Amino acid sequence: MVEKLGNLPAEASLDGLTVLAIRDYSLNYNTTSGPFEALKSINLEINRGQTLGLVGESGSGKTSLAWAIMRYLPDNASEVSGSISLLGENLRGKSHQEILEIRGRRISMVFQDPSTSLNPVIRLGDQIAEVLVRHRGLTPKQALTEGEALLATTGITKPAEMMDRYPHQASGGEKQRVVIATAFACNPELIIFDEPTTALDIITARQILDLFDRLREETQVTALYISHDLGLVSRIADDVAVIRRGLVVEEEPCDRVFSAPQHQYTRDLIAAVPHPNRRIASPAPEESASDLLNMTGVSVRYGETSILTRIFQPDRELTYGACDVSLNVRLRELLGVVGESGSGKSTIAKVLAGLQDFDGSLRFNERVFATRKSINTDYRRAVQIVFQNPDASLNPRQKIREILSRPLKLYKIVPRSEIPQRIRDLLSKVLLPEEFADRYPHQLSGGEKQRVAIARAFAAEPELVICDEITSSLDVSVQASVAKLLVDLQRDTGTTCIFITHDLNLIRQLAHRIAVMYRGSLVDLFETNEAENAERHSYTRALLDAVPVPAGTESSPSA
Amino acid sequence: MSDFVRHPAGVAGAILLTIIALAVLFGPLVAPYDPQAFHTTVRLQGPSADHWLGTDQFGRDLLSRLLFGARSTIAFGVGATMISVIAGSLIGVTAGVVGGWIDSVIMRGLDGMLAVPDLLFVLLIVTMLGAGTGEAMLAVSIAFTPGMARISRSSVLSIRTREYVLAAVARGESQRYIILSEVIPNAIGPIIVEGTIRVSFAIMIGATLGFLGMGAQPPSTEWGLMVSEARQFMYRSPWVVAVPGLAIAVAAMGFNLFGDALRDAFDPRRSR
Amino acid sequence: MSLGYLTRRLFSVLLVLVIVSFAVFAITMILPGNAAVMILGEYATEDQLLALAEVLGLNRPWYIQYFEWAGNILQADWGMSLRLSLPVGEVVGDAFWNSASLAVTALVTVIIIAIPLGILAALYRGSKVDLGIGLFAYVGTAMPEFVTATLLLVFLAGSAGGYLPAGGFIAPNESFPGFVSHVILPAGTLGLILMAHIARQVRSEMSDVLASDYIRAARLKGLRERTVIRRHALPNSLAPAVAVISLDIGYLLGGIIVVEEIFAWPGLGRLLIYALENRDLPVIQAITLLLAAVYALSNLFSDLVIAALDPRVRY
Repeated sequence: MVEKLGNLPAEASLDGLTVLAIRDYSLNYNTTSGPFEALKSINLEINRGQTLGLVGESGSGKTSLAWAIMRYLPDNASEVSGSISLLGENLRGKSHQEILEIRGRRISMVFQDPSTSLNPVIRLGDQIAEVLVRHRGLTPKQALTEGEALLATTGITKPAEMMDRYPHQASGGEKQRVVIATAFACNPELIIFDEPTTALDIITARQILDLFDRLREETQVTALYISHDLGLVSRIADDVAVIRRGLVVEEEPCDRVFSAPQHQYTRDLIAAVPHPNRRIASPAPEESASDLLNMTGVSVRYGETSILTRIFQPDRELTYGACDVSLNVRLRELLGVVGESGSGKSTIAKVLAGLQDFDGSLRFNERVFATRKSINTDYRRAVQIVFQNPDASLNPRQKIREILSRPLKLYKIVPRSEIPQRIRDLLSKVLLPEEFADRYPHQLSGGEKQRVAIARAFAAEPELVICDEITSSLDVSVQASVAKLLVDLQRDTGTTCIFITHDLNLIRQLAHRIAVMYRGSLVDLFETNEAENAERHSYTRALLDAVPVPAGTESSPSA
Repeated sequence: MSDFVRHPAGVAGAILLTIIALAVLFGPLVAPYDPQAFHTTVRLQGPSADHWLGTDQFGRDLLSRLLFGARSTIAFGVGATMISVIAGSLIGVTAGVVGGWIDSVIMRGLDGMLAVPDLLFVLLIVTMLGAGTGEAMLAVSIAFTPGMARISRSSVLSIRTREYVLAAVARGESQRYIILSEVIPNAIGPIIVEGTIRVSFAIMIGATLGFLGMGAQPPSTEWGLMVSEARQFMYRSPWVVAVPGLAIAVAAMGFNLFGDALRDAFDPRRSR
Repeated sequence: MSLGYLTRRLFSVLLVLVIVSFAVFAITMILPGNAAVMILGEYATEDQLLALAEVLGLNRPWYIQYFEWAGNILQADWGMSLRLSLPVGEVVGDAFWNSASLAVTALVTVIIIAIPLGILAALYRGSKVDLGIGLFAYVGTAMPEFVTATLLLVFLAGSAGGYLPAGGFIAPNESFPGFVSHVILPAGTLGLILMAHIARQVRSEMSDVLASDYIRAARLKGLRERTVIRRHALPNSLAPAVAVISLDIGYLLGGIIVVEEIFAWPGLGRLLIYALENRDLPVIQAITLLLAAVYALSNLFSDLVIAALDPRVRY
């Protein structure tokens, strides 16, 4: 596929050649509240054939840097200083026409979400071909043939068919391969990868990562790999740069970053990366502990409707959210439920929280419930749920005080007069200042909102708290603190906990037992320390393979 | 809500609305002349020092007639829309909250009513009730109710699946609490936006009815009626039709601009 | 496009028309002055009225009257106009084609002008062009048809301008230039408010498209802006544009009533006003049903067009 890279003759000695050089680059955004310093004096270099991993959390400026390199900045951006050079040519000095020649041909980009970065009304084949026609001067027919060959190299099994499809007819992994093929099409000197696996399922993400690795080897392409996931980057990058609030705080070869991190922020990030060997869990309950809750044969069917609705809306189909799930939850344990999207784990959470109709039965505290309607107030008080999306789990029109006092009033936990004190106690338990009681949700950060949601759940003095992917929408460093908070609360109050997530490494840190769900069925259930045993289900093993322990962290349990 | 002010459209709309509100409230008090008084010596004149907007075919001062007519025209629009917002919200919220086959039946009914173009619907009802301002207002309210019901319903449906509502259901809160405290305060935004924009349509339809003789009746100085009464003289003095006509447009525009700015204030992510 | 979907949609249209017919029937039943009074006039005696009512079957229960009426409609028997003593079908038929010629002219003009305007405004967002089009859009949507018509008449017809006839109708097959000169003002009036609304919606849709991730990806592939707009942006904004236009056909059908009245255009609108003033029930019922059917069918048609344009839509 590649004979020579970009404009460089194949024979020249190219090792050590600097492909991308960013020197003292600063970028501001002009906002209504004054200039915002997005990037401050960035100095970075990538040599030929090397991959630089750029790691940062949200708001760090890593995406702004990508736009700056591609020269695609919004109108309110002003470049304060510095240079960005591609093979020694300063990109800042180039005209718009010249930049159009460079984009797609000498620098190309792979985006985060293939569902939105592909044009929904144009065939996939045409979307690859147009780059070839534009930059390599091929005729449309030649471009389509070449495109097909490119798809084959990215691992698409039936490339000819895929060329004819529209994006909505391809899976997430297939679409991302198309985007990657397009990026490689013109043999660019530099490819920027902007979080290419974040929007994909675990197993698909692993496949795309492997693809990246293979192509890297084969083509010796120079790459800038942007991610928020330090663990992931450690597996594929040669050098790692850590960026925080517009400033590069660390830049080292990959292994040095983990073995001898220089900056405190880097150390915090490393510590926050979930590692199965670093247990944060509360002490395990005894083997003989009784069951708090038993689910027997629980199934959830969607699409069953009354006759009238069937006349008026005949398109609804019958699908299964969960299929014959039987699970027990032991007293005082933290049970992890793991699965990809569509596995049914959230469906089970909703059933347990009394939000979803189901078939089958639930046994809780000597009482058996066979339908949602039969679930009573006692159950609802004893079983609380915390949701994934911090922005949506709190009523934007209520103050924190009101949000926290609802369960207190509803279940009459404490007399009216003691409510203010109890609210103060709750806030301090989740490590939030007292003054937050008078704030509205939009005045809090994501992590703070999630703490309030947890406080609300514990306000009811429950026996079981269900956490439905509560850390998935949060930044890495915040994730770790929220997870730890939950474990501490569990230990202090003796509450049983079900923790639902797709992050296997995280759950191995927290849980006593782990349940694995796949396409609505429970496929595996085991004690955490038995995770890597041979008798594990094949899907469990596939999941474990997809998220190997972050490189360089085995020997350093904590920093 | 403070970034509402930064939108020039919103500011323009607010200014127009203020002028209109003043005209409605104080118009008859500040009008220089009696709207029905004939000044036969100065008929069909353009603007002058005595008559700022000119006079009509009977020499009546146009500015005064305009100020008196503001109430019939504007209050009509606001009143009709408010009734339809209340009625429509009740229907829409019920449909959205109850769900099931009741919801489907209501939706089908709404679809049927929405299949008839607005003006046609209004004309039919007005013919049934008889001409007159009150009847016309009722007709417009009835015609707008299905549209408002639909907006309310979809607003409620989108709030119903938000996680804070689910949290309340999981807690076992009463249906009453959930609707009043969790759903409605958050669903009201789009309803208000749509209502504000609808006022401009209500004003236009009301004026059209006045023009056709099916709405306000003489001696009302409703603006649409003013245009129809002066039509035969329009070639001699365009002011006599232009003044009320443009007043209608300005009023409708004010509500339109304000409503759009409200929409942006409630959902700044929308690209304009 | 599955046959099943098409059948379901047609059934849906039928259902809607049944509801509309029911409502129309109910309204006309409540109208003061029943058919007997219409035919015999105001001075008929009580006995005469009763006798005629008996003959016409007006004293039977409402549901029997409804089913008989509905049955007739389906057999293309629309009854007799109470005022004109002509079959309703004849009266409405001619008017229908006249209205159609006006409506189609207005619609075609609107599509040709408004869509490019909206696209231009989105492409040059924030520029004077955009502001100008925006202003036009705001003013246009705030002017009721009768105001626009009146102003146009004042400036372009009659003694002041004298360029165009102030009303009346010449069929296109009689004299095409005559038709054109008579259709300009009414179609322009109808078109103005529609153009303003559609241009604004198209601008909004196109802006959304231009801000999307796939347009960004196309630009970052180094494609020229012309190509990005033509190949990537436009095809995605066509389907929403069709959706907007189909909604506005409702406005069109309402506005045509007023416009025909003002310009003395002998179409359904003018006929309807006449029928309403004279309580000519069969004509009222027929026109309402017809207009509702046109609206519903045009919605169905536009859904088909959208399905053809957008590969994601598969019925």
